[in-house]
Amino acid sequence: MTSLRQTGALAWRSITGVARLPQAWFPALFFPLVLMAIFTGSFANAPGGIPGFPPVRSFLDFAIAGAVLQGVLIGGTTAGAAFAQDIEGGFFDRLVASPTSRVSILAGRLGGSVALAMVQGLLFVGIAVIFGARIENGLPGLLAVLVIAALLAVAAGGLGIFLALRSGSAEAVQGTFPLFLILLFFSSAFFPRETMDGWFRAVADANPISYVVEGMREQIVGGAQAGSTLVAIAITAGLAVLALTGCALAFRRRVAGVS
Amino acid sequence: MPFAVRTEGLEREFKGGIRAVDGVDLEVSTGEVYGFLGPNGAGKSTTVRMLTTLLRPTGGVAFVAGHDVVREASAVRESIGVALQDAAIDPFMTGRELLRLQGVLHGLRRPAGKARAAELLERVGLTDAADRRVGTYSGGMRRRLDLAMALVHEPRVMFLDEPTTGLDPTSRFALWEEVRRLNSEAGTTVFLTTQYLEEADQLAGRVSIIDDGHIVAEGTPAALKAEIGDPTLTVTLQRPEDAATAEAALEDLGRAAPSESGRVCLRLPDGAAALPEVVRRLDMAGVPAAGLDIAQPTLDDVFLVKTGRRLEGDAVDEEEPVAGAAEAAAPSST
Repeated sequence: MTSLRQTGALAWRSITGVARLPQAWFPALFFPLVLMAIFTGSFANAPGGIPGFPPVRSFLDFAIAGAVLQGVLIGGTTAGAAFAQDIEGGFFDRLVASPTSRVSILAGRLGGSVALAMVQGLLFVGIAVIFGARIENGLPGLLAVLVIAALLAVAAGGLGIFLALRSGSAEAVQGTFPLFLILLFFSSAFFPRETMDGWFRAVADANPISYVVEGMREQIVGGAQAGSTLVAIAITAGLAVLALTGCALAFRRRVAGVS
Repeated sequence: MPFAVRTEGLEREFKGGIRAVDGVDLEVSTGEVYGFLGPNGAGKSTTVRMLTTLLRPTGGVAFVAGHDVVREASAVRESIGVALQDAAIDPFMTGRELLRLQGVLHGLRRPAGKARAAELLERVGLTDAADRRVGTYSGGMRRRLDLAMALVHEPRVMFLDEPTTGLDPTSRFALWEEVRRLNSEAGTTVFLTTQYLEEADQLAGRVSIIDDGHIVAEGTPAALKAEIGDPTLTVTLQRPEDAATAEAALEDLGRAAPSESGRVCLRLPDGAAALPEVVRRLDMAGVPAAGLDIAQPTLDDVFLVKTGRRLEGDAVDEEEPVAGAAEAAAPSST
């Protein structure tokens, strides 16, 4: 009970921290929208115009999932950097020296990430809908998108926190951001794998992000097989477990003061 | 619980075999204000981190509020208040929000937490600033909020790590007053680390000095000063190159003490009574002095004797210049 209230209070602090700092939420909300607008403007005729492009109603429908994914990954870096700032500034020490449970310390920060991911998902879908996009699978489709986004937020936030615990430096955490972008661009986040070829296709095939985005996208553009959504959920859940295990180990290591 | 803090052979070895803390024995009685002094890198922070369960010892044992810091870490965490060096405070939250958060973390229910926050804000004089973001606070206000946050759960043992570093004198006095009150009214044991010897002198009933991982001195400030003994004479020379001549001339009046260049320091068993003789000797040796000072021993001297160095950046304002001796005594000889 106490640890639930601790988690809630810390999650509220994470959310407040992001909400009151424009430099924290602006990139996570703005850049994915810009990219979505650019791609949609540039490739309005891509569906049907490019050989191999699967049948979709419009490129905007196609682009939503990529935007959500990008936003959530940025949010993961933000969470990691915020956690590292707590370590640098001593707030983390204050928490560890208090009866706050270790789980609450992690869950509080991740709760903030998930909340941001929900805002991103709803906002991006909402804006796209205003500009004429449609969620083919309706409310269940939207829910599936949000579930995947939430799991991915735990995975990405967990990775960010892991990096924070290991490095103890916000700068180091932010320095890993280009890796997230590479992961994103070498996937099917913005273009279908069917239009790719050669080594790029091989990389996108091997990139788990491809399957995550496709699981979301099929709920939006329609023709979803339950299979791809379940794969996306399984992959994000697996990544989340991996990241959380890493966090738990890194937490112990930092507090035991091995290095 | 006779001892609020007790350690035996406490050790912390880091990678590469560096022993930051090497066999520290401490006994801090319940209700005491205890000063823990040491230069940077002496093992001060490492010791405090172990006592506050932030770092695991690699040897020895430590008990805080009667609980083992390793085996009963959660019981220790419930008993202690911690205000660490950097005043770890979110700039984008308000003082009241942070106190409420701290209350929840310590398991206070909503109404109790709300009341406690208001009470503590009043106590540290932040009621007017309570709903402003901490980013707008001055250094002194932050430290006071930091202290208030550490007090939310009425801890039995309070750890204050350099609580006044970087504060202006007024803010420093205000914080000292708060620490005294905490100790006298609530009977809270205070474990204080500081680089300011004056601070330890003002607040602490007993102090210990850690150097190179070892405790090199322990006792009441008065006893430590008495142990150092004699007042110190400092002769500031007009010509730095006269140092050797001056030392030779004054040799048998007292023990030479370490000094900066351009000065000669001497422990004078006879204190001010020896001054006329000092002036006469310098005059005879043809050494013009720019200034003569006699100072009673301070904790700074204790520190210097025990560790061989002074605390960087510390200004101890305890010199008692002998009337007319300072600056005025510049005997022009020949």
